[in-house]
Amino acid sequence: MSNTPEIVVRSEFEADSIGNAGTADVARKLSFFERLSDMDSVRKFSILLVLMVAWEMYTRLSGVSELMLPKFSDTAVALFNSLVYDDLLVMIKNSLSILVTGYAIGLVIATLLTTAAIMTRFGSDALSTLTAMLNPLPAIALLPLALLWFGLGSASVVFTLLHSVIWPVALNAHTGFMSVSDTQRMVGRNYGLRGVSYVVKLLIPAAFPSILMGLKVGWAYAWRTLIAAELVFGGAIADTSGTQSGGLGWFVFSNQMELQIPAVFAGLFTVILVGVFVESIIFTNIESRTVRRWGMQS
Amino acid sequence: MSDGSQAAADNSAAAAVGPILDVDGVTLQYKTKEHLITATYRVGFKVYPADRFVLLGPSGCGKSTLLKGVAGYLKPVEGNMRLKGVDIKEPGPDRVMVFQEFDQLLPWKTVKQNITFALMNGGRCKTQSEADDIAMEYIKKVKLDRFENTFPHMLSGGMKQRVAIARGMAMEPDVLLMDEPFAALDALTRLQMQEELLQLWEDTHFTVLFVTHSIEEALIVGSRILVLSPHPGQVKAELNAHHLNHANVGQPEFAALQQKIHNMLFADRILEDELVHEIVEAET
Repeated sequence: MSNTPEIVVRSEFEADSIGNAGTADVARKLSFFERLSDMDSVRKFSILLVLMVAWEMYTRLSGVSELMLPKFSDTAVALFNSLVYDDLLVMIKNSLSILVTGYAIGLVIATLLTTAAIMTRFGSDALSTLTAMLNPLPAIALLPLALLWFGLGSASVVFTLLHSVIWPVALNAHTGFMSVSDTQRMVGRNYGLRGVSYVVKLLIPAAFPSILMGLKVGWAYAWRTLIAAELVFGGAIADTSGTQSGGLGWFVFSNQMELQIPAVFAGLFTVILVGVFVESIIFTNIESRTVRRWGMQS
Repeated sequence: MSDGSQAAADNSAAAAVGPILDVDGVTLQYKTKEHLITATYRVGFKVYPADRFVLLGPSGCGKSTLLKGVAGYLKPVEGNMRLKGVDIKEPGPDRVMVFQEFDQLLPWKTVKQNITFALMNGGRCKTQSEADDIAMEYIKKVKLDRFENTFPHMLSGGMKQRVAIARGMAMEPDVLLMDEPFAALDALTRLQMQEELLQLWEDTHFTVLFVTHSIEEALIVGSRILVLSPHPGQVKAELNAHHLNHANVGQPEFAALQQKIHNMLFADRILEDELVHEIVEAET
């Protein structure tokens, strides 16, 4: 007796007509709660809420010194007061204006480098070598040198920001251009695209996911570098730039010197809030309107 | 049917209308990282208006390379290729290519924008509204109305290829070049696409140069078939298949021609296997 199963031959049939599926609607609208729990922002905000409550409870119940860890409620009040009565808003503006300056100049230089890298083999080699060499160097480490070259002032900070913007942006853009598929390149040339129009109408959109990624990383690096620079040298920069207030990093540093610990936390929160605003509101919006809409997200 | 009468018919047609595409003694080579590969060796053929001309052969016979040559992406090292009597020098909108890969559609443009983009940049339309009208006309032809504002990543493989075909046809090129356009589709969709392509051809009798490695597809789609042998690609035969389509699949005439081509291609199968073996050994 063999264990190999034999085919069981059964009678054939064809369905006369297919009635309505009796089980449920073919497409059912999701309930309010289902849609709510699908929203990223709602889920993430609830995590924040849990953290806030845990913080408040811990500081109230454990009796930890207010100088070490102030209550969440105190921090919130300090943040409100700094925004309304103190000049925290001006400091945010100062920080952002230096950041935007550095970012914009960085983008111009990155564009030039990428163009050179695409056009010539030397440019490509130069870019990859420079990136490999300079990318591991934290931009803030250049600040002492920058102060030596450009003196105390925002020029030094802008210089360090350039370093944190150029390499990620140029590297990602270059990678993006290199990985545009041969088929898409051939399609572009087939429909008569040449030179500048080939770059603008085909290469840039095709490489856009990578370019956007570079812009994001560059921004994130620049923001961290800026705060660090202000934290260490903020006082000096604030004094010489003519404004009394300096930037966000200086706000944190000076409040720590004055033992205004809730204000220190408030300053750190502001740093986070501005960072989150740009990263998850501005960049996420650009993403959902472009690469995600096009199904190009890598 | 005798070969003599076919040749006579061929020649009388040739006298009445000249060939639209003339490929003469073309040798094509391309470089990989380690080898200089001769894809085709002194291949010649003539495509006449309204031809559904098929380049058929096993992988390695240089049929795709030949198509890229006609498209202008590759220059022959020997021989010449003329479109309407003019030497082919570079890619241009008078020879539109439909690729096998789905990413030939630009993902950042909708179905309609993909077509208008080609029309505007290819110089067929001056104004956007004119391009819009033509695009919609061809979208309807490939039965994709309702999807004109959809982005390509939302479409199925078959729909993507239909858009690519619509885009190619909308350009009204002298020759539509198709590089195994249905090879990445499932069997049922492929069958449907072949039928639809023939229906579209019935409308305007456009000229197609079609590359495939499927004998069946060649017989269904093609009106004339150039059979190529591999390593390097050389012309083995040029056959007529204008009298065959889906309706004839499985009929004796269809099967006989299928068998004939099969024998042609696999006569040197052993030789090919040896060659592949040598290349694999050389590369490892």
